[in-house]
Amino acid sequence: MKKTCLLLFLCIIAGTLTLHAQWSVGLEAGYNKNYPFTNTGFRAFTEYKPMEGFNIGVPVKYTLNNWFGVQADPQFIRKSYQMVRSGFFDGVYQKNINNYIQLPLMAHFTFGGQKIKGFFNLGGYAGYWASSHIKGTQLDVFSQSYELPDDFQSKRYLDFKPGYNYDEKYEFDKRKDRRIELGLLTGAGISYQLKPRYELFAEGRYYRALTDQQKDYMLNQIPRYNDTFTIQVGCMYRLGK
Amino acid sequence: MFQFMLGMFIIGSAASCRKELPQINQPERYIAGNFSEAFEAYWNGMNNNYIFWDIDPTNWDDVYKKYQPLFAKMNINDSTDVRKSYTYFKEMTSQLVDSHYALQINSSYVKDSIPYISPADLRHQKQPGYHGNINPNFFYSSIPPKYLDPGYIKGFVNFPEGGQFFAISGKIKNNILYLHFNSFKLNTVLNSTTPNNAQKVLKYYFDQLKSTPNLKGLILDVRSNGGGALADLDLLVGSLTDKAYVIGATRSKGGMGRLDYTPWIPASVHPAKEAKAFTAPIVVLADLNSVSMAEMTTMALKALPTNNATFVGERTWGGNGPLLGNDDFYNGGQFTTGFLKLVYTSTLMLRYKDGKIYEGLGFPPDVEVKYNKAALDAGTDPQLEKAISLIPQ
Repeated sequence: MKKTCLLLFLCIIAGTLTLHAQWSVGLEAGYNKNYPFTNTGFRAFTEYKPMEGFNIGVPVKYTLNNWFGVQADPQFIRKSYQMVRSGFFDGVYQKNINNYIQLPLMAHFTFGGQKIKGFFNLGGYAGYWASSHIKGTQLDVFSQSYELPDDFQSKRYLDFKPGYNYDEKYEFDKRKDRRIELGLLTGAGISYQLKPRYELFAEGRYYRALTDQQKDYMLNQIPRYNDTFTIQVGCMYRLGK
Repeated sequence: MFQFMLGMFIIGSAASCRKELPQINQPERYIAGNFSEAFEAYWNGMNNNYIFWDIDPTNWDDVYKKYQPLFAKMNINDSTDVRKSYTYFKEMTSQLVDSHYALQINSSYVKDSIPYISPADLRHQKQPGYHGNINPNFFYSSIPPKYLDPGYIKGFVNFPEGGQFFAISGKIKNNILYLHFNSFKLNTVLNSTTPNNAQKVLKYYFDQLKSTPNLKGLILDVRSNGGGALADLDLLVGSLTDKAYVIGATRSKGGMGRLDYTPWIPASVHPAKEAKAFTAPIVVLADLNSVSMAEMTTMALKALPTNNATFVGERTWGGNGPLLGNDDFYNGGQFTTGFLKLVYTSTLMLRYKDGKIYEGLGFPPDVEVKYNKAALDAGTDPQLEKAISLIPQ
């Protein structure tokens, strides 16, 4: 029975192929906010925070019928986060700006009218952590203290001594950094048929990493996953007749 | 529909395929009512606070696998087991590269007989040529009359919290300035509001450095000096340079992971007020028992932009990572547990300007002159004599 159902489902899709099958290619760009799913253990006055990023991609869609298609979005996406210290250590932080080359692959479901349609996507992705940049301020034990009056009361350590500011490329550590990221995605949006071959769309998408950014290199390791929420817009161009 | 449901189930299952975030507690918060807790507190504290995992040969996961079951079998209220734990702690820490490292056990069963476990101490003691500190009296009473010109000055001060600081300064051949002191409390002593003889020595040294024309050289003697305040670096070495310069770099923990680090931060010496570049030869004397700030001072002198320092003596101890009493500042370093009065460990890792990390290795001399007990007993100092010979007249 199951096989029959599956066969019937494939036949329906195959039957519509000749009528509706078409390729589309486009361009998309968006803004995102990446939330690191992790914690700081027992570190005091220390917190991980989300950071904004962006993505740009070239979506390629293969429409099988008027409600279903398959889409791949090879893209560049920045998934960043920061570690911020507070209280007496206010001003100490590090931004980790992480650049990924990513290939989302998804089922694309369409519904609605002729001009304006709704859609949702469901699938997975594989990404490669291509490069990383770190920017921040850290305490510098060797820095020279400011000349301050004897009765000076400081609110933060950096009032006593300057910190060290940096903005540099992050060197990956093979022992620790896992550069392949796999995950799931889901998205929803609307599209507008601008011209017979041109379609504009806007989409909100969520990427949920299932692989830790770190290899399993120690016991009691605190994992670090990316949760990325994007808002993107784009335009698709239908190829063929 | 079934395929769709199956697909959703697979996706849903996959979505929950994340590792759980472990709850990791501060070592100080464990109730050390049994040895399992005592071990977990210590092991986790080290797992997250120890700064040298990047270069340390110890496999800390294997330590857990081997010793966790052993500690779980013991009774913290049994004196035999407490003594056995001392042996286990000694084994677990024996290869730790941090040469500041020391464990102090809180239990009354061992604290009188075994004040602390120092892996570096135990390693050094096994090496050929090991020796203890040069007797302070040798510096205080033997060197001045034999090697210093008349008019030398010496003095000591006792601190209310315990400990003694002493210093000796004078001239050799009327044109070489010599300074020895036993610990880096220079700023404390120099700025003390209570005048004392040690303060007079330091004032004499800095006055002579500034005001003596045509000094042919300088000998800074940090042999058997156990270190102290990092702020003294700018006072002592900063008085020999007119511009800030980099001696290496430090880094601290950048997260809870063993390999989570901040970037390397340049470690600089800053010129003292009105300091001029000292261009005559400088000889720094250091030995096996020159530790921490004594080693950093040796490194800093060797890194002077004037490139006029020579290090005479022996390879230093190898504990040169800066250390703070509070692990909140740099998110790593020393901590306590209910069972351990103190896990004394470096807060930062220091890399010298040549790119090498000398922690656990010691900083090597340019001119090696080994400790010579017989010579010292006879009242002569071959290391100092070599230093004097390196300063041309």
